[in-house]
Amino acid sequence: MKNYDAIIIGTGAAGGIIAGVFAEAGKNVLLLERGPALSFSDVGRDHLRNQRLSVYGHNAGPELDGNPRVFVDPLGKVQTVRPHQPNYHNNAACVGGGTRVYGAQAWRFLPLDFRMASTYGVPEGSSLSDWPIAYDDLEPFYERAEWELGVAGDGSALEDKLPRQRGYPLPAVNSSPQTVALRRGAAQLGWSTNPVPLLINTKPYGGREACIGCKYCVGFACPTDAKNGSHNTMIPRALATGLCTLQTGAIVKSIETDTHGTVTGVSYIVQAPHGTELKKATAKIVVVSAGAIESARLLLNSRSSHHPNGLGNENDQVGRNLQGHLYPRAYGLMREKVFTGIGPGVTIATTQFNHGNPDLIGGGMLADDFIKPPIDFWYDSLPPDLPRWGLANKQFMRDNYTRVLHVRGPVQDIPSPKARVTIHHDVLDCWAIPVARLSGTTHPETVRAAEFMQRRGEEWLRASGCEKVWSYSPGLVLSGGQHQAGTCRMGNDPKTSVTDKWGRVHSHENLFVIDGSLHVTNGGFNPVLTIMALAFRSADYLVQNRL
Amino acid sequence: MKLTDEQQKTLRAAVDRIIPSDNYPSAWQAGVGDYLAKQFEKDLSPFFDTYCAGLASLEAESLKQFDQSFSSLSDEQKDAILNQVEVGDFFTTWTVSPQNFFKLLTNTTAEGFYSEPEQGGNREGVSWSMIGFDSI
Repeated sequence: MKNYDAIIIGTGAAGGIIAGVFAEAGKNVLLLERGPALSFSDVGRDHLRNQRLSVYGHNAGPELDGNPRVFVDPLGKVQTVRPHQPNYHNNAACVGGGTRVYGAQAWRFLPLDFRMASTYGVPEGSSLSDWPIAYDDLEPFYERAEWELGVAGDGSALEDKLPRQRGYPLPAVNSSPQTVALRRGAAQLGWSTNPVPLLINTKPYGGREACIGCKYCVGFACPTDAKNGSHNTMIPRALATGLCTLQTGAIVKSIETDTHGTVTGVSYIVQAPHGTELKKATAKIVVVSAGAIESARLLLNSRSSHHPNGLGNENDQVGRNLQGHLYPRAYGLMREKVFTGIGPGVTIATTQFNHGNPDLIGGGMLADDFIKPPIDFWYDSLPPDLPRWGLANKQFMRDNYTRVLHVRGPVQDIPSPKARVTIHHDVLDCWAIPVARLSGTTHPETVRAAEFMQRRGEEWLRASGCEKVWSYSPGLVLSGGQHQAGTCRMGNDPKTSVTDKWGRVHSHENLFVIDGSLHVTNGGFNPVLTIMALAFRSADYLVQNRL
Repeated sequence: MKLTDEQQKTLRAAVDRIIPSDNYPSAWQAGVGDYLAKQFEKDLSPFFDTYCAGLASLEAESLKQFDQSFSSLSDEQKDAILNQVEVGDFFTTWTVSPQNFFKLLTNTTAEGFYSEPEQGGNREGVSWSMIGFDSI
């Protein structure tokens, strides 16, 4: 059995970066990924089976059969759900994780996003808390993520809110007619706007081509490999050192401990010529980067006599505070065509309402949207007073697909300790491992903020010249999904957090969680750049101090 | 899994009221029938019985109210019945929820018509030409 410097579980936004940093520092790494490496054609262009609209399946895993979860709705009804179904809270399972098929919005969190409790106080029933680190601690690593992976944006746009040492390596995406309309509308309202930062090559970068403006960023793979994820940046760099072993199709069954309760390595299942094989590997440190739901599940499933409630779970904190984002969304009908058909589609945002809203905790960002495949538009974007069928429906699609302006955005989730991942011991996956059970909802304060943002969306569209405006807001639900975070949050107090400020599990010297699970709060922004920055920061620390 | 000829006739008539023809083809003309036939063997196989029962009830509703097959009704008569089914207002005994059946019928028709041509219900990308979406 080979002994590694580090075993990293998961190849997503965090795991791939950590592997790259470790391997380039000369460390031996075993990088485990439950899914396969997927080519552009493996991911395909199926409009009904993708990570954005998954009516009948997914294009980036996990397999629909053998990977159930249990979902408990707000009324207590318990359902077993499959990966493409509502309430599964899926993220892709393949090399690169969610970054293989994401839209790639590359936002930094604002300084206040790290100080939510001291800024707003803690509402009853919430576990709202400050981060143990500040924006300034993360700033150099945001910059590093922006430059090492490649982000396109306007570095001067948010200078007053987001102090930065260095601009972006790539120019922002081009404007389109919808950008012009929305910028004019915002100006009329006195709102500031900025281009949406994206992990997309607006020019060739990192040895890869520029974006060709196709319409398939969210939920699909990029035809020119111009969308920057861990799969085409840090993982290839890790592999190029010869020091990183990437094992795909590897399901980690448990994190192993010795008779003293010390973490020694992992046991994992791989496909073998005749069925499956259980393998073990040992390492100086184990890093769990499987995403907020699966990372919590793995810690909770790693039970032993020393750790009867799972690893790091002495204070019943693992799996709590599951959060993502509620997405209010608004639509408006323009007299003129605003659709050019040139992707990505998302161009302009306002951060006017992320903070400082009267009588609200936090707020959120609003932006226009990625180009929607027509069937996605049909499901998502039609006015509530339009018949769902008949000539009126068909002719609305005919006349207005290119005239509808969309704005939407993530609302800062006010965490609830009752929104959580536990283990459902009676339901097993196809490797006989008990599955994740998801229950609870976000805090009602999040819903209030979402409704406020929904109104701001409508206001923006009216000011931008829309004749008719309609909107939706999600209500009191569990948030998680592709923005899942919070289940092993970092903190100084082991009673209310799972790890220290580097991601080290409080009760273990050599066990780390580094992914969205660490987020104390999830910002009013797409969280991936923060996950990446935390990964660079912790990986550097580990190389310097622990490996 | 295949529908009977009678069910197939009812399906065609219903689908063509969900997305009727105008200057652009109807759902059936664009291939939604082929799309559904393919899907009954795959993703829609768990719903095949709902389809059969719903189509039979739609036909029974038509016979009861207009003394004619659904497929031979006028467009106005078809729409009148579909409007009732959509809101769960009916005169015969349904063995499946009319609202659920109607939602399934509507959603799967749109899925075929508006998704990519390879799925079978958007022949030569006709719905995409109609709305102004082209795919590169």
